[in-house]
This record gives sequence, structure tokens and C-alpha cells, in this order.
Amino acid sequence: MMNATIQTKIAQFQIVKQKILAALRKGENYELKTELNSEYKERRKEAVRRVIANMTVGKDVSGLFTDVLKNMHTDDLEIKKLIYLYLINYAKTQPDLVILAVNTFVKDAEDTNPLIRALAIRTMGCLHVQEVLDHLSDPLRKCLKDPSPYVRKTAVMCVAKVYDLSPAIAEENGFVEDVRRALSDSNPMVISNAVTVLTEINEMAPGQNIWRLDSKTVPTLLAAINECVEWGQIAILEALADYTPKTEKEAESICERLLPRLQHANGSVVLTTVRLLLKYEKYVHRADLLSQFSKKMVPPLITLLSSEPEIQYVALRNINIILQRHPKMLSKEIRVFFCKYNDPIYVKYEKLDVLVRICSERNTEPLLNELKEYAREVDVDFVRRAIQAIGRLAIRYESSADKAVKVLIELLQLKANSVVQDVVVVLRDVFRRYPQSFADVVPTLCEHIDYVNEPDAKAALIWILGEYSEHISNIGNLLSTSIESFLDEEDEGVQLALVNSAVKFFLKRPQQGQALVLKALQTATEKCANPDVRDRAYIYWRLLSADPNSARAVALVEMPPVELESASLSASLLEELIAELGSVASVLQKPAKLFVYKKTDKAGVPRDSEMANAGFDSAEGGATSAGDNGTTGGIDTSNEGEPELLISF
Amino acid sequence: ENFTTVYQLLSEMVDSGSAVTTDTSVLRGLVPVPSLVDRVIENVSGIGIRSEKRPDVNTSSTPWRSQGIRHANNEFFVDIVERIDAIVGADGSVVSYDVSGDISCKSRLTGMPELLLVLNRAEAMDDVAFHPCVRANKWQAERVIGFVPPDGQFKLASFHVATDAAPRLLPLHLHATVSRQQDQSHIIEIAADAGQSGKRPVEKIQVRVPLPAQAYNIRVQCKAGTHTVSNVRSPQVEWSLKSLGPTERGARLTIQYLVRASSATAASAPQVLSPSPGSNQSALAAFVDFEVAGYSVSSIKVDSLKMLVESYKLFKGVRYVTKAGSFQLRF
Repeated sequence: MMNATIQTKIAQFQIVKQKILAALRKGENYELKTELNSEYKERRKEAVRRVIANMTVGKDVSGLFTDVLKNMHTDDLEIKKLIYLYLINYAKTQPDLVILAVNTFVKDAEDTNPLIRALAIRTMGCLHVQEVLDHLSDPLRKCLKDPSPYVRKTAVMCVAKVYDLSPAIAEENGFVEDVRRALSDSNPMVISNAVTVLTEINEMAPGQNIWRLDSKTVPTLLAAINECVEWGQIAILEALADYTPKTEKEAESICERLLPRLQHANGSVVLTTVRLLLKYEKYVHRADLLSQFSKKMVPPLITLLSSEPEIQYVALRNINIILQRHPKMLSKEIRVFFCKYNDPIYVKYEKLDVLVRICSERNTEPLLNELKEYAREVDVDFVRRAIQAIGRLAIRYESSADKAVKVLIELLQLKANSVVQDVVVVLRDVFRRYPQSFADVVPTLCEHIDYVNEPDAKAALIWILGEYSEHISNIGNLLSTSIESFLDEEDEGVQLALVNSAVKFFLKRPQQGQALVLKALQTATEKCANPDVRDRAYIYWRLLSADPNSARAVALVEMPPVELESASLSASLLEELIAELGSVASVLQKPAKLFVYKKTDKAGVPRDSEMANAGFDSAEGGATSAGDNGTTGGIDTSNEGEPELLISF
Repeated sequence: ENFTTVYQLLSEMVDSGSAVTTDTSVLRGLVPVPSLVDRVIENVSGIGIRSEKRPDVNTSSTPWRSQGIRHANNEFFVDIVERIDAIVGADGSVVSYDVSGDISCKSRLTGMPELLLVLNRAEAMDDVAFHPCVRANKWQAERVIGFVPPDGQFKLASFHVATDAAPRLLPLHLHATVSRQQDQSHIIEIAADAGQSGKRPVEKIQVRVPLPAQAYNIRVQCKAGTHTVSNVRSPQVEWSLKSLGPTERGARLTIQYLVRASSATAASAPQVLSPSPGSNQSALAAFVDFEVAGYSVSSIKVDSLKMLVESYKLFKGVRYVTKAGSFQLRF
């Protein structure tokens, strides 16, 4: 009974609370409404500012649409911009009311101040309302031929938005043709914007060949690129990268003209230039030129590594890809990739990967010393990778194997738990690669047997014991203790290893091993739950009882050499990623078509064409997308249709 | 409260997903800079000073510099700041060493001057990135920097010194030793001596030693300089020396601490190496900062700075500073 009354009271209270809040809100909006209609200019201005502030924070101010609209005829540039922002935001919800604003837009598009003309055109383009579009065509046409380059460049961008909304209108009115003509404009900003727009329109209509860069336009672009802003340079570089040069001479001259771009401060310009040079490698055949290009690419990439960690990460992921095409490119610069103590962990992982790739026979010694330092670090994962890197080097370069094993044993003696496990696993691989070379090390290894407690490491250690059983004196004891606890071992890898090693021990030292192998096989066959282990034990038993020689042939066979190479990309994937070097695709190491969605596609179906979004790189300013370690996900690229100033918190 | 300026800036910088203009001088022409004076006048008199100034767009060939700039004293200052990024081992050996630098300028010049900056060792720089105002072809051809400077403070170039161009000079020599006492306490000793710094004193030396998270009972002694022990996220000791003359030796820092054996370690928490007797502790590194005024470690200096086009007398100044970039001492 009591509960029910309390609950109804709570419900009533909630309703009252809602009403009060609604009234308050209505009060605020009401207050703003009166302010917006006030006769004093300053109060109206202040009101508009507050409306926008509310909108930014997420409060709903759409009810004030008409009042805000009334304020549009103002000389104040700042207020005009704010009101236009408001309109862009709410245009979708109130398309009929937006029509009222169109008149002002058209008038503004003929204003004496070029900034206002440009503002009007841009806003009309962002509104994305069909009715506005019809009125937009005339002003747009005029602005495309405007005397002020600022207006022209904004008008050019607007064409892309029009195309997105209605390709038919864009074609009919010849806007696309106008943009193509803008490629020969006198102002480089206009040219670079035209390139961006044409590339995007190409994206939107993948089937029709709206625009292909041809050899006549190439010289204009090359001339303009030096004068453009960095973002314009990126657009032009991308377009040139997609272009197929007609002759080898043309390819060579394009590359040489663009080499200075490698020295730009903006990391994205550098990476896009590298993309272009790598793509043009198949058109240029002169070996001296190719080696010159490779040499010139190295210093800018290294400079990228002295920036913020986010940029370092992007640079490293791209360098990873570049190295798969040119493995020897960075061999002299190995010290640059040494990890600093305070590097973020994602940067350290990448640096470690690159270090292993670029290490050459001469560098193994300093690198091994460096890896030994890393193995003493705090992060467990990093330590594991460092130890595995030591193993890789040992396997790759025979000359370094001795030193590597020495380092590994030193690490073992630190007696740190995780380090011991990793070292044992890596030692097993090294021993497998160089059979019977490191017998003297095995006794030291055995001293640390108590520290080995992870299943992988235990299996590795038991394998080693089996392989080197003739060198270890007390191996019988060591194995027998393990076999005692055979059934306690949960991991089947360990059990299999025990069976194998027991058999090997017996085959190498029949007297000492006899009792042991009998016990092992007995436990395995009779009491073990795992069918694989039982089967293998049976096989061995029968082999041993039937014919010890063939058992020898089976158990003591020489194993195929083991490779511990770093993961490499397949050739076709590498081609695709090089074509997208410097964009998010190369950081994620997945081609763009796998994760780019156009908003008009069915949900969940990625676009089947390449993404060429010029501004998506993380250059100065450090992009947030570069922070995560290669996670997948449906990244929604905001297409040209999205209003540019919709900032929601 | 400045959101109107932020909006205007954003709308100029980015247009529908593609970055358009990020040059600060161009933006300054397009978006009015909020200033206290303007705001006060606007509030008091209701006249929008800001709104009446019609910003105009600069589409000349030098968008970073507008016409008609006037200054009473014409001066131009060049600062060459070099940073040493190095990793030094405990015994003082250099594991890795890298020098990169910036040329920053402050220009207060009238009109549209053209400057020519010549350096003495331009070939020592293997990767240079310039401000857009620099004429690229002049650098390609003659290795001189020709440019029309923007007004005010700007970064003219940033460069990287080729690894084989300069010997590895360290203005500060550091050694560290780590040991354990009978009572299980760890002792870190760091010694700092002046190195090669062109006979200038090394100043503003700061050595930051982060200690393992489980450290406690930290006792510090220093011979020369001051120290502070802080425990914001993890314990660390900071040692500051105001300056170390070119021949001074003997500055020492001694840190003594105990380490708690951690009982519960979550899987993701950094694993502490179990402090069994005789084991080394995990790798640590100290971060070092210093500044040497008037010294250029790569010995790249300005040969000359000439001015063309304008005809007034120019007051020039050049300064060199060598700083520690990411300088670490491992022990």
C-alpha cells in the first residue's frame, strides 16, 4: 500500500518537474524571441549570439527560426555568419521556411564585399534543400566567373555540393564544365580547389568518367603547386599520383619537379609525394633516377619522426609499408628508430617492428644491445616483442646468433617472471634453427627451470631438454619430476612435449631413459584424458616395441628450418596500400574500400571504390584517428553533403 | 565566450571536409581578432567597431604579408635554436644522437622587403622545411634563403643536421650508477660534468628521474643545485642546476630508496621485476633538459643577411641557442 502511494507521488513529482523545466525553457526561448525582435541593434546581436550558443550546446532553438531570419538583413558580418550557421543547421527540419531566406542570399551574392558574396554562395551550397537549389544556379554561375579569386574558389567548392545533391542540375547548368575550366585559372587556390572538387565528383559518379587528368593540364598543375597552400598541394599531388604518364620522359620530369615537395613542413605533403614517387616507379626505368628518388625520400621521413607521437605513429605505419617495397632504404638510419623511454607504447611497438625490418648484418650488434635494454622495460607486451625480436635477428643472421643467445641468457638471469617465459620460448626457436650449436648454454637454462611456469614456456623447455638430452647429466631427474605431474598439466602442448622428449631421451640414452619412457607412455596412454596425447603415446609405444630404429627415424628426425619473419603484406595488398599512402588506409593497413561508407549506401555495405578524401590526413594538429592501434570499424566519412559547421558536443 | 571567433575561424579553415586555409596571417585578415579594447568599446557605446572594419581577402602573390606595413625602427632578428635528441647509456656512451633545429625570425620591417640569408654550412642540413614565403628555386640552385618575410614572429625554416656532418658533441656529460645496499635499498648516483659547449656555461639544467611506482622512503642528496621529490602519479626526483660553467665538474645527485614488493599485480599493471637478491632493477631513464646560450652545436651560423628592394637601414640581430631535445640518460 505504502509503496503504491509513494510511487504515484514520485510520478506526479516527475510530471510537475517536466512542466516546470518546459516552462523555463519556453521562458528562455520566449525571452530570446523578444530580444531578437527588439529595436536595439546591440540587443538583437547579443540575442543572436546566445541563440547560437544554445544551439551549440544542444538546446533546441528551432522555434526561433522566423525571428532569427528577420535579423538576416544586417551589415554586421559576424552576425550574418552566425545566422547563416543557424540556417545550415536547421534547414533540413524547416525547408519551407528556408525559402524565405533565399532572397537575402541572392542579394548577398551580389554584394560589393567579396567575403559576403563567398559566404552567401557557400551557405546556399550547404543548405541542401531542393528548392533552394533552383535559385542557387544563377548566383553560382556568376560567382564562378567572379573577379575576386576568393569568391571563385568558394564557388568551385559549392559545385561539389550541388553535384552531390543533384548531378543533373550540375551538368545542365554546365557547372562541371566551369570547374574544368577553372583548372586554368590564374589563381593557384582556385586551381587546387578545382582539383579537389573534380576528384570528389569523380568519386560520386564512379561509372562515368567525369574527369581524367590529361597531359595538357599537367604542366599547369605543376606550375601551380608551388604557390598553393599545403592542402591544395595535397589535392594536386593526389590527382597527379592517379595520373598515368604517357611517356617515360613525362614521368621523369614530373618526379623531378615534385622532389622539392619532400621538403615541405607538412607531413601529409611529404607522404603524398612519397606515394606519387612510389607509384611512378613503374613508369621510370632509369636506375640512377630511381636510386636518387629513394635517397631523397629518406631524410624527410626521418624528420617526421621528431614530431609529436601521433604524427610519429602515422609516419611509422607508412614507413612499414614503404619498407616492404624498398627493404634496404633505411638501413643506415637504424639509430633514429631507437625507442625513447617516454614514447607512447603504440609508437614503441611500431618502432620495434621497423627496427627488426631494417636491421642488416652490420647493425645486429648495436641493435641487440638496444633490445636488451628494452627487455628490461616495464611493459610486459613490449618486453615480449623485444625478446622475440632478438630471436628473429638470431635466426636471420647466423653471425649474430652467438651474441643473441648470450643476451638471452643474460636476460634469463634477471629471473623476472615474464622475461623468463619469453626467453625460453625464443631460445627453443633459436636452437631449432641451429641444431646442436648451443649445447653449453643448456645447463644454465636448466638452472632456471623453477622459474618456468607458463605452458608455452614449459613445452619449449621440455623440447629443449629432449633435444639436448645427451648433454645434460641430470636430465633424468628433471624429466621425471615433470612426468610425475603429467596429469596435472592442463595444457596438451606440455603433455605432448613430455611424451616426445621422453621418447627422445630413451632413444639417445637407452639405459637411463628406459624406466622414464615406460612411465611416461604408461601415464599417457592409460590415464590421460586427451585423445591426441593418448594416440601419440600409443604410436610411440608400438614403434618402440616393434622397431627402435624406425622410432629413431621418426622421433629424432632433422626438422625443417624455422622462420620467424615479421608479417608481410601480400603483393596486391601492398600495391593498393602504396596507392593510398599517407591516408588512413595506410595507417590501418586496409584498403579504403573496406571501411569507407557513403551515406547513401545501404547500411553496412561499404563503397566499392577508393576513397580520396584529401583532407583526411593527420598533419599538423595531430589527428585523433591516429591514436588507436589499428582498430577496425565503420568510419563514416562525412561527405560533402554534411553541413560543415555542425558542431555537436 | 569566444565562440563566434572560433566559428569564423573554422568556417574559413575547413570547407565541407577539406582543409582550405590554415595560414595564420591570411586568417587574421579574414577573421577579426577579438581584443579586450574592442569588446569594451562595443559594450560601452553599442557601436560595433569590429563589424565596421571590413576584412578583405589578400590574394596577392605574398598572402602572408599585406601591403603598407610601417614600422618606426626597422629591425630583423634571427634565432637559431638547435635541439639535441640523444640517448646516453649509464657509462656515458652515446647510444643515439640527433640534432635538429629551427630558424625563427622576428621581423619589424616597413614595406615589402626582400631578404637574403646565407648560412655558412648549408650542406650540413640534410632535410630542410621552409615557410611558404621562401623562394624554393633559390635554395635549390644556390643554397641561400631568399624570402619576403611576414610581419612579426614566424618560423623561417626547420632543419635536420645530417648525421655524418657534425661530430657528436655533448654539452653535458652524464654518468649514472645503480647499486644496492645491504639493507635492500637502491641507490642511484648521477654525475653531471660540463662537456663541449664552446666555452659557454650550460644553463637551466634539469634532470628528472622517475622512480618505480613501488618506491618509497626516498632520500636525496645533491652536491650543487637543488632537488625536489614529487609524487604526482609516480614518484620522481627533480634536480635543477642553474648553470654549470665550462670547466666545472663534480655536480652529483644521490637518490636512495626502497622498493615495496608488490603482492597483487593485475594483469595489465606494469610488472615489477621481483626484487630477488642480486637482480638488476628494471630499466629506468632520466630526462635531461638544458640550454646553452650563444652556442650552436652543429656550428651552422649565419654568414650574412642582405636586404634588397627597400633602401632603409636595417638593424639585424642573430642569436644561437642549443637546447636539449629529448635527451635521456639510461641506467
